[in-house]
Amino acid sequence: MRYLASRTVYMLVILAISSVAVFYAIRLSGGDATAARLPASATEADRETLREVLGLNDPIYQQYFTYMGRLLSGDLGNSLTNNALISKMVIEHGRNSIILGAAAFLLVFLVGVPLGMLASVRRNTFMDQGIMSLSVAGMAVPNFWLALLSIWLFASVLGWLPSAGCCEPRQLILPAIVLAAEGTALTVRMTRSAMLENLDSDWVRTLRAGGLSEARVIGKHVFRNALIPIISLAGLRIGQIVGYALIVEVIFGWPGLGQVLVNAVLRRDYPVAQFFSLVLVVMVVLGNWLADLGYLAANPRLRRT
Amino acid sequence: MAAPVLSVRDLTTVIRTEGIEFDVVRGVSFDMYPNEILGLVGESGCGKTMTALSVMGLIPTPAARIAGGAVLFGERNLVSLPEREMREVRGDDISMIFQDPLTSLDPMFSIGHLLNEVIRRHRPVSRSEADAMALQALVEVELPDPETRMNQYPHQLSGGMRQRVMIAMALMLDPDILIADEPTTALDVTVQAQILDRLLGQQRRRGMSMLLITHDLGVVAAVADRVAVMYSGEIVEQAPVEQLFSDPQHPYTQGLLRAVPQTRHQRGALHTIPGRVPPPQFVPPGCPFSPRCSQALVRCWEEHPELVSENGRHLRCFNPQPLTPA
Repeated sequence: MRYLASRTVYMLVILAISSVAVFYAIRLSGGDATAARLPASATEADRETLREVLGLNDPIYQQYFTYMGRLLSGDLGNSLTNNALISKMVIEHGRNSIILGAAAFLLVFLVGVPLGMLASVRRNTFMDQGIMSLSVAGMAVPNFWLALLSIWLFASVLGWLPSAGCCEPRQLILPAIVLAAEGTALTVRMTRSAMLENLDSDWVRTLRAGGLSEARVIGKHVFRNALIPIISLAGLRIGQIVGYALIVEVIFGWPGLGQVLVNAVLRRDYPVAQFFSLVLVVMVVLGNWLADLGYLAANPRLRRT
Repeated sequence: MAAPVLSVRDLTTVIRTEGIEFDVVRGVSFDMYPNEILGLVGESGCGKTMTALSVMGLIPTPAARIAGGAVLFGERNLVSLPEREMREVRGDDISMIFQDPLTSLDPMFSIGHLLNEVIRRHRPVSRSEADAMALQALVEVELPDPETRMNQYPHQLSGGMRQRVMIAMALMLDPDILIADEPTTALDVTVQAQILDRLLGQQRRRGMSMLLITHDLGVVAAVADRVAVMYSGEIVEQAPVEQLFSDPQHPYTQGLLRAVPQTRHQRGALHTIPGRVPPPQFVPPGCPFSPRCSQALVRCWEEHPELVSENGRHLRCFNPQPLTPA
């Protein structure tokens, strides 16, 4: 329980620090925030009035608390470019992002873990080497290039899958695979090494001496032990997926949070950029916290002290 | 004497590393009888554990394999038994206790779960019946507070308690043979005696046959009925315990006995056997002990001595001499 409490406090501290960092970074990006709102012909006096109205002349810490106060009361503000309610944008695009992210996350573990197990039980065979080579490729290939390559192959040449768009299952396949590629490769390697490490344990011999079958010993006991490092790094995988989603969503025209964020930054739509950055931070931090909970649940040595 | 419950004949186990095979167990033979403890002693690396693992069919594959010999258990030769049938034997007819109780239990499952799984592997009983059997086994090894322990995980138990769990697991299905590989070496001295006492009590009560592997000659002298001394993958001397301790014949056995510190003797340097066990890939051609032997003849360097049996004693030596007090 102390572990859970400390992880929760840790999560809240990170959230607070990163909200400050995001807020400050947006203001560092330079440019005049009034430029997007007022026509080029506006006078300096008009601009000054607007700054006063928007609170831009207040000290930055005060702006921060004003902003956070509004957020907590549910007022997310409007987009500068089309005046859309940010709260509506988040719900709409957030749904798309969660679909894509969840698909990628499932792929990482449903493909990565079995492949890693297969490589470990077939250690040093052709199968093992094949899987490991594939995983090196998965880690080495940058995902924007993998995205372009897969569009070229599966959409242009073979014509099996659409190159972009949302939100049919067929359109989800390519972006989900590209988004999952690196995490899957890392999970394969980690599963393999965790399995091998546990296969060498003394307790494996004890179970064999008890007459248990290899399927039981490996599929249940060794796997159960190997699961701990796999779960503990699930948080990293979430962070990776959220980060790569920015690129992958833009390339595949998938209207998720990442795509909106990239567009907002390009158009200097500060309220949108700021809030969507915060949303990504919250997703990563929350994901890590959930992975910590999973780690706690999976490890009896931490459950009771 | 009754018929042996297990006969090991000319057992040879080889290990392959970097394409080279060498023997780690070489032509080992011994018999195990009901209600009897056979001590297997020797230095680290002499092949004691590999002998035990070979009998259990648990040698590390694919690095190791049994190259020859037989392990006769009833009508069956365990060496050629299919793995599926061997699994029926393991944990049920023959079970084994390992050296390090701290690492020998799966940390992810409760004690009760681990015992339950092995019981249900071998007996067609329900979960709750298996739990009752497991609890009974923990009671018999005098594990304190057994009901609570059933739900606890290995890390919540001390080393001594975990070794009791190991013993309970090994004994709960009433095996004919128990192989105990250094069962007390990793434990505190005070706990060692308790664990050994438990083990012995259970062995006698069940009339079970036990192979006790140890390098502790004190333990062997106290509990074993017969003793086999191993050196460099071979049994060099085997005799009833009183005979071996009162009249050791092999120079290696004599060296081992002299190396036991005795409080009666005056202080001074402890007795040692010069040199060390040759690694299996560099075993000398004649008697493997000859480089370290003070009474080696030229013949010992050239010819490999056979195991000769006389008056219940087996000896592998060309030039046995009576033990001279150190």
